[in-house]
Amino acid sequence: MTVPDALASLAGALAAEEESLLACVHCGFCLPACPTYVRLGDEADSPRGRLYLMRAVVEGRLSPDSPALHTHLDRCLGCRACEPVCPSGVPYGHLLERGRAVVRSHRSPPGSVRLLLAVLARPLVARAAWALARWARATRLPALAARVLPRRWGVSAAMLASSAPARLPVRGGSVGSAARRGGPAPDDAPPERGRVAMLRGCVQEGLFGRVNRATERTLGVNGYQVVPVSGQGCCGALHAHAGDLEGARALARRNVAAFGASSVDFVCVNAAGCGVAMREYGELLAGDPSEPQAREVAARVRDVSHLLAEAGPRPGAVVEARVAWDPPCHLLHAQGEDRAPLQVLDAIPGLARRPLFRASECCGGAGLYGLTHAELGGHIGDDKVGAIRASGADVVVTANPGCHMQIGGTLLLGGGGPSVVHLVELLDESYRRAGLVPDPPKRGRDRG
Amino acid sequence: LRDELVRAVGPDAVLADPDRLLVYESDGLTRYRRRPLAVVLPSDTAACARVVALLHGAGIAVVPRGAGTGLSGGAVAAPDTVVLGTARMNRILELDVDARRARVGAGVVNAALGEAAREHGLIYLPDPSSQTACTLGGNIAENSGGPHCLKYGVTSRYVTGLTVVGSGGTVFELAERGGRGLDLVGLFVGSEGCFGLATEIEVALAPAPAEVRTLLAAFPEIEEAGSAVTAILADGLVPAALEIVDAATIRAVEASVYAAGYPTDAGAALVVEFDGPGPGLDDELARAATLCRAAGATEIRLAADAEQRAALWAGRKKAFGAMGRLAPDLMVQDATVPRSRLPEVLRAVGRIAARHGLGVANVFHAGDGNLHPNLLFDRRDPDQVARVERASREIMEACVAAGGTITGEHGVGLDKREYMRLVHGPAELATMSAVRGVFDPRGGFNPGKVLPDEAAVAERTAARGAPRVREARLAPAERVAELGVEVDMRPDGVAVARPGSAEQVALVVADACREGWRVRVSAGDGGDRAADLVISTRGLRGIEAYEPADLTVTVAAGTPMAELARHLGAAGLWLPIDGPGVGDASVGGVVASAGARALATAYGAVRDQVLGLTLVTGDGRVLELGGAVVKNVAGFDLVRLIVGSRGALGVVTRVTLRTHPRFRCERYLSVSAPRPEALLPAVDGVLGAPLLPASIELAGGPDGAELLVRVVGSEVQVAHAEQVLTARMGPSVRGLEPEAGALRQRVLRAAAGAGARVLHARPSASGVEDLLARLRSAAAAAATGAPRFWALPDQGVAWVAGQGGRSGLDPERSPAQEAVFDAAPGAAPGAGVASDGAPDAAVQALEAGLHAVFDPFGVLGGVAEQGDRP
Repeated sequence: MTVPDALASLAGALAAEEESLLACVHCGFCLPACPTYVRLGDEADSPRGRLYLMRAVVEGRLSPDSPALHTHLDRCLGCRACEPVCPSGVPYGHLLERGRAVVRSHRSPPGSVRLLLAVLARPLVARAAWALARWARATRLPALAARVLPRRWGVSAAMLASSAPARLPVRGGSVGSAARRGGPAPDDAPPERGRVAMLRGCVQEGLFGRVNRATERTLGVNGYQVVPVSGQGCCGALHAHAGDLEGARALARRNVAAFGASSVDFVCVNAAGCGVAMREYGELLAGDPSEPQAREVAARVRDVSHLLAEAGPRPGAVVEARVAWDPPCHLLHAQGEDRAPLQVLDAIPGLARRPLFRASECCGGAGLYGLTHAELGGHIGDDKVGAIRASGADVVVTANPGCHMQIGGTLLLGGGGPSVVHLVELLDESYRRAGLVPDPPKRGRDRG
Repeated sequence: LRDELVRAVGPDAVLADPDRLLVYESDGLTRYRRRPLAVVLPSDTAACARVVALLHGAGIAVVPRGAGTGLSGGAVAAPDTVVLGTARMNRILELDVDARRARVGAGVVNAALGEAAREHGLIYLPDPSSQTACTLGGNIAENSGGPHCLKYGVTSRYVTGLTVVGSGGTVFELAERGGRGLDLVGLFVGSEGCFGLATEIEVALAPAPAEVRTLLAAFPEIEEAGSAVTAILADGLVPAALEIVDAATIRAVEASVYAAGYPTDAGAALVVEFDGPGPGLDDELARAATLCRAAGATEIRLAADAEQRAALWAGRKKAFGAMGRLAPDLMVQDATVPRSRLPEVLRAVGRIAARHGLGVANVFHAGDGNLHPNLLFDRRDPDQVARVERASREIMEACVAAGGTITGEHGVGLDKREYMRLVHGPAELATMSAVRGVFDPRGGFNPGKVLPDEAAVAERTAARGAPRVREARLAPAERVAELGVEVDMRPDGVAVARPGSAEQVALVVADACREGWRVRVSAGDGGDRAADLVISTRGLRGIEAYEPADLTVTVAAGTPMAELARHLGAAGLWLPIDGPGVGDASVGGVVASAGARALATAYGAVRDQVLGLTLVTGDGRVLELGGAVVKNVAGFDLVRLIVGSRGALGVVTRVTLRTHPRFRCERYLSVSAPRPEALLPAVDGVLGAPLLPASIELAGGPDGAELLVRVVGSEVQVAHAEQVLTARMGPSVRGLEPEAGALRQRVLRAAAGAGARVLHARPSASGVEDLLARLRSAAAAAATGAPRFWALPDQGVAWVAGQGGRSGLDPERSPAQEAVFDAAPGAAPGAGVASDGAPDAAVQALEAGLHAVFDPFGVLGGVAEQGDRP
């Protein structure tokens, strides 16, 4: 295929999305919702501008290998804050991935990104890499490096260091004291709520295994039966965001097969970004032989907060802490879960929720944004951390590994501060203090 | 040049890659597309000025752009122009809670200002539907409206000052100067980026309404919803908003993320909102609900809480975007008609769309008669595009034929330039073009927008000849009599012409031009003012057009205000214009002086009540400015320029005013003290109250001081306001019945008579304190007793009785009652005014230029007054 032919076929790939692109009436309501537009003031860095560039490719007015197209699609955080404010319902996240696929087939992403995506796609290699990462983390060298290295080099170290288990507040209840405090008795059996399979994920299992265990325990407390599903792997979200749709599809097929074979009621995901990717497997695998099964699996995907909220959730024991909830974009904007996480927090007595300025804005983590756009991502992260410090919270609660490390890492670079925990970690702690879940074996740093 | 721009604002603020510039090729109306040469994104006024200086120096015009949400193509580049984006000037520079003022960068988003204000219990009232995205700079350019302007008025009512980068990069400040000089702020607002670029904007905020009630009524037919609106307004209710959406719109909204539970089987839905202090709101809501049911509503739903209300409004405000679901492209139309004509115009719109085979969805601000038919099409089909164009023109023609105008809030931009001829004649267009030339002589701002076919217009303007002085000079009286115009002689021998029509005024003025007479305009005989000829408006008298249901009235300029008030009162209507001497003045006099502002905070100033007027310019042209609809942004706002120009730009012969349903109940609250300083806590209490009284007047003199507050509304509202204010005005407060209160008012206002001097301060209790201190020190310096004064604390302005210099306030600087204006330290409205009250040179040059446009031969003498009272 000659170069012009290749470009034509790329344009054709976007042309299939023409109807979606046309849904944008150029009203501009998305502009102030977009973190990059708000900071840069350039409409090419707004959702409307990016859609317009894609539409121009379809209309043959812009070459698919235009550097402008590449720069501005690439600079999108993919936070999808534009979707809930779009009156026309433009499927922006979907279009962005298609647009990036067009760009990617012409320009490769940076080597670091390609390497990481390649590792994630290979389970054995990934497992070794995570073990190495956990070992490195346990040496505490990354934390040191974050403090001494210039920011440009210290970022990755800080993010790795920040994935370590956080100190949780010690005030509040003590282990097994629930009965004495009049809390729910541990042996009250909750009503049956169905069988749940859990996506273990890549980064989540690699660096945040403790969150996966906490997820299993808290689901159990709330009446869900968690069943193991083998053959699963990375969800492919990072690949899709980077425009590597083929890589993403390969990973999706594997998960569709694994979860499709299980007879569970729900597929529980505790990483917001992965949840969105799995909910969109049907669109990703459109036209693929696995599409029907993909749609069927996707329809069963729920965020852990949703499942817990459906169950009440069961209250735990007191954890006295001032907490700030920073909703992951992919939970709030892409999955529309605005209430469920708050219901989970409400199940923990003693929490004082602090309002967080611009809580719904992206933290700048955005998957691999730190690798591709260190400066802008860092700037957005600084704003988020500034708001967190101003909130007076001593614990930041989030629900996605990317956000966890972005916020934790940025805090670390700025001299520490509030601890960062996943929503279910906090609930699990509350249950532990209530005696609803067993005291975990001595927390091994190696497993995170 | 690009390098110079980069040097001026930095490399990341200059965008020149053609691919990247694609996204700037259109605004919210995608039908018009053109890529600019470059986009520059300066971060402050100074950078902006450097950029404009460079570009104008190189002969390149500038196209201002905010968030690009406009719906008239106003921010689309003209050939070979550079777009100047305000997105980086997005800081709230100052928020003065006491004075209820904010100063913001042009790129601040409307809703962001609202959010910041809300933290302090304040609100920025203009709420265009795109408020979550559109910028204040864009609002200024378009004079934006919004659903709540039914009760609160449009953007221009709230703009008190502007920092402008003008032609060649000069920076100047435009400020409200309380009647001195011309109202350049009012003229600039709505100029669509053609006069310059406003970089910093000062606006007035208001106390946020304590409570809001919203109901949604579903109707089988859109006409029934329309008649419910008529019934609600005729009942004297004052809703904050009255919005209708039609069936097609409901379906689009309900399919979107903004689904609000609008009944999808209804022919139309009406949203009615009331706001204000809690008591009385439920009664009003219940009455509105009853009226809706009587008009045929099949379902009525009340928003139970803020969340439901927000959902209802989101459904309405995001309707335009939601229509993206109905068709690939959308032609959002905007026009205003007299409200009573809405049903027939809607039927006409439906017929026109059907004739051209186009889908149409309607949303409209029903209370204002402002309709937005949205034509659905696909721009990939040239035939559809052509049909949309034809249908748009026919819709505009239908609206104009019904007495309406071509745009109520979206502006003219590129889209409606050609329709301008439907509502304006050649003389009006030529005048607009000349006014634009005063601000932008080199055509360096937003060329090709607003005015049709500008080259031809300019030619006509230039062709106007110089005056021809006749050989044999007749005395003015004889000459005027020769023209067939009634004429009298004043005891001092000055001729007083009493023309009976605008045409006669034009004849007289044209003769004055030829003869070189100095003319004064007056409702009477001009008193003892020096002139060769007085034009009295006494012969121009009577109500010319009056449609109570439309809430408008057109009246000849010489009609006494009292006569007009009687007429309106008979229909349960009211004109909220009040101030010293208003009762004895003529309508033209009140419009020319614009000094009657006692009710301005609660109801808007005189300029906000004037919808249109007929003006005879100083060279005898008769101009019809504005119109008879409550929202009108078709062209530059010359009406606001004329209001308050004191007859210096022409003779106002006819005025169209906006009327309001008359309140059902009123009451005055009064508190007295031996010295005005003792009333400061009461002033502070009233200014800080979570409600707006109709007027707040503070007066003092050798015999004591008094604070007089007037509240109006329904019985429940007045009782509530009295209760709230009584608690804030101190134990010695007493309530007064309307007659007694009005009497006190007349006594207090005596200080603001002829010869009074005006002082300005921040509109807050501390500003009043500062005013009183200045009065004290001036009195001490002149060794006189306590000066007699009358003040409006809510506006930070005081009138001090003149008495031939005995007040110690330098009467030499007070040529007439308009007197001298102080820029007190920290006085918000005085910003940019030199300490002697004079505007800076750039502003003086603008004023001189405008005088030359309207009175090229100086017949009207630069400053004159129409009417003998403020």
